[in-house]
Amino acid sequence: MNKTKILALIWVGYFAFAFLTSCSVVQQGADVLGATGQISESDKQAIVKTSQAVQATFAEITEEQEYYIGRGVAALILSRYQVYDDPSLTAYINTVGQSVVYFSDRPEIYAGYHFLVLDTEEVNALSAPGGLIFVSKGLLRRCKNEEMLADVLAHEVGHVTAKHGLQSIKKSRLVDLFGIIGTEAAKRYGPEELAQLTNLYSSTLGDVVDTLILRGYDRKFEYQADTLSVKFSAAAGYLPQGLVDFLQTMVGDSTAASAKGWFKTHPSSEQRIEKIQTEAASLKDGLAGEPIRTKRFQKAVAGLK
Amino acid sequence: MKRPIASTAVISLLILVMCLLAAETLIVKVQSTGLRKNPKFYAPVLVNLSAGDKIEKISGQEGWLQVKTANGVVGWVHSSAVQVQKFDLMAMDKSMKTQASASEVALAGKGFNKQVEADYRAGHPDLSYVWVDKMILIKVPASKVEEFMRQGKLGEFRGAK
Repeated sequence: MNKTKILALIWVGYFAFAFLTSCSVVQQGADVLGATGQISESDKQAIVKTSQAVQATFAEITEEQEYYIGRGVAALILSRYQVYDDPSLTAYINTVGQSVVYFSDRPEIYAGYHFLVLDTEEVNALSAPGGLIFVSKGLLRRCKNEEMLADVLAHEVGHVTAKHGLQSIKKSRLVDLFGIIGTEAAKRYGPEELAQLTNLYSSTLGDVVDTLILRGYDRKFEYQADTLSVKFSAAAGYLPQGLVDFLQTMVGDSTAASAKGWFKTHPSSEQRIEKIQTEAASLKDGLAGEPIRTKRFQKAVAGLK
Repeated sequence: MKRPIASTAVISLLILVMCLLAAETLIVKVQSTGLRKNPKFYAPVLVNLSAGDKIEKISGQEGWLQVKTANGVVGWVHSSAVQVQKFDLMAMDKSMKTQASASEVALAGKGFNKQVEADYRAGHPDLSYVWVDKMILIKVPASKVEEFMRQGKLGEFRGAK
């Protein structure tokens, strides 16, 4: 067997290791092979580096870390917006949200889903990673029934379940993060590692907040969240038409010119409506509107100031 | 040179087989959840489970899984609350015992954690976490969601008279 083949076989073996085991294990494995002289020091470094780069994707962020990213993003959102503090409205929004969450594809996340109303007339909805979801007063005013609210919340839950927020984190940060996690056995960090991690954390929050508030998600993520909204809300028993009805209120809206909130960060309503209607067509069977849902919605928002 | 290559291949195969065999053990990856009597979120909770708890899968694939705790309590958990246990290759290599670890568990508390948040907050004293903490505490009891769904003819109550 020639040297190239041998090297290729070792690589294949190590790629299998990389997929089956964690980053730190690959590091240890490379150490063992390095110590026995089966691979050179440079090969060892290359294996460890490759395994870190391969694993440096948003999908490798643990749920606990997603939660801490979400908390930071939520704090930054709340530094820009006041909370509309109405306990009974908050309870209602959370109950509608939870009804949709139960039928989502990730109903259980690290610390659960939580919803808050923002005290702004801007029409907006924001979802921080880890299930911290915000809807504005201006958005609630556009909703005429529970269907519309539930479908908008389902769209936001979709962003969370598909980890769209985490996908806005720059790759270089993930490589650095997994580098530190992979080499440090400690869970309590010394001053140097802590400073590195805190810097990374700060830039990570910046990546997510910039995307959520300033730039908006990639169009494909908005369309995917619409698809998930249709799926989750229909499974919960809500008519997906609610999302269409909500988007209709935005068509030809003169305030869109001010390009704030939702208007700035989402694709045009017309394009989305067409796509949602096609997707919802096959799911309408057995779904019906319920006057009692509209009644309780109207009661919940009646006191909106 | 041939023997180490052969053994690498054999070890790789063994790991694969053991990972498949180990698929029956699950680890809780969310902060807390309930082992429920029936496959529904609003079913009575038999035992509370916390991150890192190990349970054994009896049946189910996606959605609801029927599981058994170490104490022998049988109930249901949602698949999004657990992950399949992964084997720690090096632990086996060192002791030849079937020690195991799961990535969420092995990585618990690592990276962006409470300590990092505290350090970040120390550098941003103007940033308030009051509402973030309040928000996390908002919990709608499953029984309330059930009543809400029943009243609104949602979920399994749709079409009910």
